[in-house]
Amino acid sequence: MSRQAGRGTESKKMSSELFTLTYGALVTQLCKDYENDEDVNKQLDKMGYNIGVRLIEDFLARSNVGRCHDFRETADVIAKVAFKMYLGITPSITNWSPAGDEFSLILENNPLVDFVELPDNHSSLIYSNLLCGVLRGALEMVRLHFSPRKGGGVVEVLAGNENLEPSADISTHPLVQVCGLHDFSCCESMSRAK
Amino acid sequence: MAVCIAVIAKENYPLYIRSIPTENELKFHYTVHTSLDVVDEKISAMGKALVDQRELYLGLLYPTEDYKVYGYVTNSKVKFVMVVDSSNTALRDNEIRSMFRKLHNSYTDVMCNPFYNPGDCIHSRAFDNMVTSMMMQVC
Repeated sequence: MSRQAGRGTESKKMSSELFTLTYGALVTQLCKDYENDEDVNKQLDKMGYNIGVRLIEDFLARSNVGRCHDFRETADVIAKVAFKMYLGITPSITNWSPAGDEFSLILENNPLVDFVELPDNHSSLIYSNLLCGVLRGALEMVRLHFSPRKGGGVVEVLAGNENLEPSADISTHPLVQVCGLHDFSCCESMSRAK
Repeated sequence: MAVCIAVIAKENYPLYIRSIPTENELKFHYTVHTSLDVVDEKISAMGKALVDQRELYLGLLYPTEDYKVYGYVTNSKVKFVMVVDSSNTALRDNEIRSMFRKLHNSYTDVMCNPFYNPGDCIHSRAFDNMVTSMMMQVC
């Protein structure tokens, strides 16, 4: 409990290497424990979900963001406040659907994949699937529905894995993660539980 | 500029070895293998002084007729050996040193890859590319 005492809104610094290596150890251990990549992806998503449903409380308490009035504002808060707060990065928001109820988050410098080179026998592993799980969990708690974008799914480009690049315009980034976010509901349900 | 680059594990087995004229690979393996004795000699001769100074670069191990062999040993006793063409006189000691440092950094990145098990052979594209670029430079 005393640990919580000093927590303010400012983010604390920690070694990014330690974080990256810890996550790497987690994923490789899962790869050893499960036989195929699909199961590992599922497990990562489940873990992320459990993190997300708790993290949203922390986020709402510490970030002091108010209600979001429209979906674009929600997207901005996720990218510029939430990602900044917990990972220290700001993903870019692109690929808005014409109806404005779906978008992609592109992580240009994902700290999770700093040293990672995916071996050939894990080609269908989505290394950072934990992040998708976190988003899914957190957004579910504020009554938004998250799912990887239809058709596009989650595309990852890990360092040195040129053949996985989804398209030319984003190929310069070491990791590109495309996720979709569906706005299932009308504006009222987008309001954040305060 | 380098014709052969090798990474040797603490227990003196090769983790990675690449040479440019691929038809004569065995000769380079032999050269690298012989150089390990010199590395061991240097380490035990410098002994304590080496540890104190944290100087990892071992310098020229030995020159042969056609090649010069340079060595570098990390604090975890992993050895890097580089064979350079002797006709390339423009190559300064400082440049060799910086090449080793680059190699060391790249090796560290390989070690940090969670899918790499320490002690296995190195099959990393990033490391491969880096070695290729070091061999291609001013050839």
